[in-house]
Amino acid sequence: MFKELSWVRLSVVRIGLLAFLRKFRSAPDQEMRILLLGLDNAGKTTILKKLASEDITHITPTQGFNIKSVHSEGFKLNVWDIGGQRKIRPYWKNYFDKTDVLIYVVDSSDRKRFEETGEEFAELLQEEKLACVPVLVYANKQDLMNAAPASDIAQGLLLHKLRDRMWHIQACSAVRGEGIQEGMEWACRTAKKKK
Amino acid sequence: MPSRAEDILKGFKVNWMNLRDADTGKVLWQASEDLLNEFDRSHPGMEHEARVPKKILKCRAVSREINFSSVEPMEKFRLEQKVLFKGQCLEEWLFEFGFVIPNSTNTWQSIIEAAPESQMMPANILNGNVVIETKFFDDDLLVSTSNVRLFYI
Repeated sequence: MFKELSWVRLSVVRIGLLAFLRKFRSAPDQEMRILLLGLDNAGKTTILKKLASEDITHITPTQGFNIKSVHSEGFKLNVWDIGGQRKIRPYWKNYFDKTDVLIYVVDSSDRKRFEETGEEFAELLQEEKLACVPVLVYANKQDLMNAAPASDIAQGLLLHKLRDRMWHIQACSAVRGEGIQEGMEWACRTAKKKK
Repeated sequence: MPSRAEDILKGFKVNWMNLRDADTGKVLWQASEDLLNEFDRSHPGMEHEARVPKKILKCRAVSREINFSSVEPMEKFRLEQKVLFKGQCLEEWLFEFGFVIPNSTNTWQSIIEAAPESQMMPANILNGNVVIETKFFDDDLLVSTSNVRLFYI
């Protein structure tokens, strides 16, 4: 039922990374690096593909990284999506350097793994290379019946206790394309301010 | 004993490449594993031919995507991609990946705005004269080269 509904919307929701980037480019030669992390099956790759209006019906677990580099009049945006499987997580640290915004994706319907995702998140916040890096949390899969609301996810991740960085939580449904753009706009606005 | 360079080369594979209309996300051309690797093994350094619908020249933005696997970890992985017209470089992308996870499969996609239509060369002039050259390096070690010659149909 949900699947069919989302199909109807798929054809309607079109964002386009370039159109999006045009809104945020300012000084030429500026480069922005966004790092997308989260447990396996949180929806990182779907979010990334959805941002580029691409088909999301054949996504498989990411066994490495997926990068989108967008170039518009001297302005460059690089979005790094790194696989979230347990065996890959130890390699996340190789991709922290020069990150402007960290995006952490949570499957809001996977209640059994809330604790696990909270632990991984807490560890990331301790990382020296990610100190002070603004963080956007996508409370993804809001289209699923048993999804926890974004406020619960925020509480579980202790976002309100963060003092050393800007943060934002965005409820979204990657498959329906809802909430994705709003989150990215926060990310890009925040990264731009930081520079 | 094989050298580290040999291990890297042996464990590296380009799985597929595609071109998309970046506004709609629609794939306009794709080459899969069979084509790429069978071909590369028997004709190292040779070119692939891509027959791309002419309408790609009307796209406001085009994406080029390449998917590759590596058995070995790499520390300083990078790519140089050039768009050549009759051998002359029209456009160049340098991209630093840095670390590559052992036994990983990875994708890199570049999205770029097209030249304004007034500056765009017509299909019949571009036809068969444009080559996308992608070279992968680990630091200074050349790991792989792929050349795709574009025909607009």
